[in-house]
Amino acid sequence: MRHAPTIIILALLFLLPVGVLIMQAGAPGWRFPELMPELTFDGLCFIAARPGPFLTALASSLGYSLVTVAVTLAMTILPAQVLAFRTFPGKNLLEGLLLLPALVPAMTFSMGLHFIFIKIGLADTTPGVILVLSMISYPYMLRALTTGYTLMGREYAVCARNLGASKRRVFLEVELPQLLPAMAAGASVVFLVAFSEYFLVFLIGGGSVASFTGYLFPLITSSNRGLGALVTLVFLAVPIVLFVVLELGLYRYHRKRWMR
Amino acid sequence: MRVIFFLSLFLALTAGCSEAPQEESVLRQDYASLENLARGTEVRWHMWGGSAQINQWVDTYVAGEMKRLYDISVTRVPMDAPVFVNKLLTEKAAGKNTGTMDLLWINGENFKNAMQAGVLFGPFADRLPNFTAWYDPQKSAHDFGFPVNGFEAPYGRAQFVFEYDTERTPVPPATLAELADWIRANPGRFTYPQPPDFTGSAFLRQIFYATTGGHEQYMDGFNPDLYAKNAPLAFAWLSELGPYLWQEGRTYPKDAAALDTLFARGEIDMAMSYHPAHAQMKILEKTYPDTAKTFVLAEGAIFNTHFTAIPFNAPNKAGAMVLANFLMSPEAQLSKFKPENWGDLPALEIAKLDEEKRRAFDAVDLGAATLGADALSAAAVPEIASEYLELLERDWDKIILGH
Amino acid sequence: MKRGIIHGLLPLLLPYCALFCAGLTLTLAQSLGFFLPLGSGEVTLEHYQTLIQDQGIRQSLGLSLSVAFFSAAGSVLGGTVLALALWRMPPGLRRVGVVSKVGLILPHVAVAFLVLLMLSRTGLVSSVLFQLGIISAPEEFPNILHTGSGLGMILAFLLKGVPFALLLIGAVLFGFDVRLIQTARMLGAGPLRTFWSVTLPRLLPAMHSAFIILFLYAFGSFDIPFVLGESHPGMLSIRVFDIFFQRDLSQRPQAMAILTLMFVFAAVFAMLYNRFAAYLDGWRRKL
Repeated sequence: MRHAPTIIILALLFLLPVGVLIMQAGAPGWRFPELMPELTFDGLCFIAARPGPFLTALASSLGYSLVTVAVTLAMTILPAQVLAFRTFPGKNLLEGLLLLPALVPAMTFSMGLHFIFIKIGLADTTPGVILVLSMISYPYMLRALTTGYTLMGREYAVCARNLGASKRRVFLEVELPQLLPAMAAGASVVFLVAFSEYFLVFLIGGGSVASFTGYLFPLITSSNRGLGALVTLVFLAVPIVLFVVLELGLYRYHRKRWMR
Repeated sequence: MRVIFFLSLFLALTAGCSEAPQEESVLRQDYASLENLARGTEVRWHMWGGSAQINQWVDTYVAGEMKRLYDISVTRVPMDAPVFVNKLLTEKAAGKNTGTMDLLWINGENFKNAMQAGVLFGPFADRLPNFTAWYDPQKSAHDFGFPVNGFEAPYGRAQFVFEYDTERTPVPPATLAELADWIRANPGRFTYPQPPDFTGSAFLRQIFYATTGGHEQYMDGFNPDLYAKNAPLAFAWLSELGPYLWQEGRTYPKDAAALDTLFARGEIDMAMSYHPAHAQMKILEKTYPDTAKTFVLAEGAIFNTHFTAIPFNAPNKAGAMVLANFLMSPEAQLSKFKPENWGDLPALEIAKLDEEKRRAFDAVDLGAATLGADALSAAAVPEIASEYLELLERDWDKIILGH
Repeated sequence: MKRGIIHGLLPLLLPYCALFCAGLTLTLAQSLGFFLPLGSGEVTLEHYQTLIQDQGIRQSLGLSLSVAFFSAAGSVLGGTVLALALWRMPPGLRRVGVVSKVGLILPHVAVAFLVLLMLSRTGLVSSVLFQLGIISAPEEFPNILHTGSGLGMILAFLLKGVPFALLLIGAVLFGFDVRLIQTARMLGAGPLRTFWSVTLPRLLPAMHSAFIILFLYAFGSFDIPFVLGESHPGMLSIRVFDIFFQRDLSQRPQAMAILTLMFVFAAVFAMLYNRFAAYLDGWRRKL
């Protein structure tokens, strides 16, 4: 079958690592050159015995990532409309500048920002972390929403206004539903970026803001690879679960709307 | 709208400028009232988080006992010592008088840097009842040659040992010369963590002592001429053996944990640790093979005491003092001593304890992989002034890595 | 009308200036000697001078650039090839492409961990080769992770980069109007010619976007180099981390100087790359 090579490559690159993680999670003492190590549940027992730090880190990461999604949404929804429908001199330059925070190394501005945050008391706080994460992830939401608005066009809104709807109603009942796919796409990327970030949370959070990546990091280089593999698998599972929930939610929302 | 905006801006700006809380009053109160003051509060303890075993001991035993005895909740925050000292320096320069760290696990050059920058709170050690009861003030008067002056409370003792696997290396080298021969005979099977990692730096000091004729000459404080004369010997030894090291000495494991992993996975045949019971702990954790053991060189094995300290801007100084006191108690020291918990040597004077407690300490079995107390104390040599340490680290970067 | 524009852009422009621009300004200021934690000195360019003369920094810069280039180029190539391969598949079978999202979801530290697990001398691939009898000891396994050229890091970046490129390029490819291709074939063009003249030009914008993003990301990344980086030369971002967190405060302006230079490089690169890509496109058309 001529598609076999592609499938094999995909499996090797992406499924095999997951398999390796699962095996390593179950076999902390896996050493060269065993291929089939003996399975134990030490890793799971370790976490089950003291779930506190694990759950705190996970909850904290989930929390600030979701809030970051909300913040970037609030930050970019109006500008996306402006960028999609209006022209003005210097628009290209502005768009380029607005994309910079996602392109340049985050270190370049975050280390300076850290000092400012200390002075105004935002360092070592979750709001500080959320602000920084929003800064590096808003370009994705901005792009997604701009594309969404461009594809939607202005006709629907104009129509609805002509029929007498207020601005709020137009936004909530005409524009928002059509923007949902774009918002979902942007939200997914923003969430992933925020959830996987280690350095910025470490820098701005200063140890006071728990993060799941912070929980994982020391386990990577330690000799206890079973635990590291286990936590990595959770890292994989959480976004997948969230995306499934998001897809299901969107699906049911659309069904309800079509049913009306 | 504008008023609210500027008002919130003003509030945000002044939030970081509160006056130093509690400071004087805490030091003037007696200990019993400190315990009352700290009841129901949270203490944030920043410490090195690279050992899952130690983390677990702190999260279960220490946190559990502190809650039970004093109704204080202890939150462990993993953070390396240079990082939190750096953080304190920045906070002090930025005028942040209420920080987020209550207690620190610290020693050596990090303590010295912190003291010289004035970012530690104290002196507080002599106000802690456990310190006066069970500790010898002389033994904890100096930290790497720098006077402590009560700004640190003793926590435990450590000694530098090498680790090996009896299955691969039946007879370990006994002297520095034998170690060099072994390295040459087994190319690519030895390495050490890259300084300024704590263990790598300690290995540097071991070699420094061993190649330059011992430790006594350095005990009188820092002498730059002595360093200039002797350091080349140590670096010559290291450079000469470079090609026989792992990866031909071009690259070194990032830290002690990375070194352990190489040893555990059989990529190298020797490891090292500043913690005598570390090998036993790893065997119990099933990451090291059962045949792992430890050895020291005849030229001596450096030992030191490690401490806890309180930052100048700790929000809960009373709670931190109660925690520091608890860590010095015979019960905590005994629990810490057991290898299934940590295996860290006690810092208190066992002779000062009563019969029953003394027997409990003697009964602790550090495991087959750990050297006995006599072997360890026979080889024990004290730590060096931290100026030497910083110079050694800097020159290692220049000479060995070419930075 | 203008007020509407500014009003709409304000929710973004305010934080942009207050956080991004302010942060950059402070980095620049500290590199010049202002606003330092240890009290301000005079304005000075000496930190930049020390940097330029430092050979170790030049080597780190070289490593960062080469790792970034090879990982970005490799990811774009790999992503394009995979996208094309998936495109040829019948739509039902194309679903298997979704497994590549694993690379997107895993955080960078986890990907670095995977590279460690699989490719270290006592790792999985080595064990497989041992079992197959191809090697008889760990030392015979090629020294992938410690060659001094950052190969381990490049592989980790590839594992994250290929799915990303696949996503961007696939979005264009799967929305492609097949009739264009059919027309070209009908007019007698061979498959290669069709690809070169019809398909590729439409993919190029996405490929260029992916390249810029991946290149700049790898250039300034911290997570992967921290786990897989080697002692010498270290990546620039790790040098900065080292100076910032582990050396004394008096060296901080140096770290800030490196960061300022990295920012300038990234911004200039992004701007120039677009011009360069347009130039390449003109050259390609002439062929």
